[in-house]
Amino acid sequence: MEDFENELRQALERRAAPPSLKRKVLEQRSRLRTQRLQVRRAMWQRLAASVALAAALGGGFAWRNREERLKGEAARAQVLTALRITAHALNQMNEELASHGSAGQE
Amino acid sequence: MAHDWQPDFEQLVDEHQSMVFSLAWRMTGDRGLAEEIAQDVFLELDRHLGRIESPLHACFWLRRVAMSRSADALRRRKVRRMDLWVEMDENHGARMEERASPLGARLEQLLATLPEPQRAALVLRYQEGLTPEEIAATLDAPLATVKSHLQRGLKLLRAKAQDSLREYVRVKECTGGH
Repeated sequence: MEDFENELRQALERRAAPPSLKRKVLEQRSRLRTQRLQVRRAMWQRLAASVALAAALGGGFAWRNREERLKGEAARAQVLTALRITAHALNQMNEELASHGSAGQE
Repeated sequence: MAHDWQPDFEQLVDEHQSMVFSLAWRMTGDRGLAEEIAQDVFLELDRHLGRIESPLHACFWLRRVAMSRSADALRRRKVRRMDLWVEMDENHGARMEERASPLGARLEQLLATLPEPQRAALVLRYQEGLTPEEIAATLDAPLATVKSHLQRGLKLLRAKAQDSLREYVRVKECTGGH
């Protein structure tokens, strides 16, 4: 059995790898690294584009809100001014009517 | 735990390409497939390089992944024992002259006809010189199973070798007689 095992040990010596194996491994490794780098770069670019788009949309939305609020405030101020003018005119008319009434009685 | 050893990928390929290639070749019986498997194993090593802690760990890792990839390839290709034998004859016919002993070449062919688990155990035992405990760790199999595969594989291979030798002698006698 010992002889058989020794024969088997000799038969199963390691074989030399093909000379091109190392070159192929290094080429594939370099190709895969470039691919991985490109994928990572594309991912960051997509992320940056998404952030920029989200910022633009958010900014636009905030600007529109501010504009609407300002317009509302201006309209409110105009209404208040109109009410003030109307109240003032009515007061004047009341005073004139009162002064005419008192002059007639005398 | 931090480790001081810094793996050098190219050096690891230089040191272990023959081991990885031989394991894959003896497990699949196909030189081209063995080369593909060896490439895949080294590319996977590159991805896991940060987790390799020592030269011994690298060697263990490469053996383990080479055996596992070879088993996967065999399952994918559904290579049967007899097909493998034929392939070994076809693929390695030209290379057999490299072997000093014709019995050694025949043993290598006969090894390819063994069931996969027995072949794996024998290749790791006699190509790599591993102990049954190391084989069990490499194949992630129970020690008793590995010992059983080694015993049965060796017995089967011996029986096949004897039959083959008898046939060889008979053919020699017949051709010599004429």
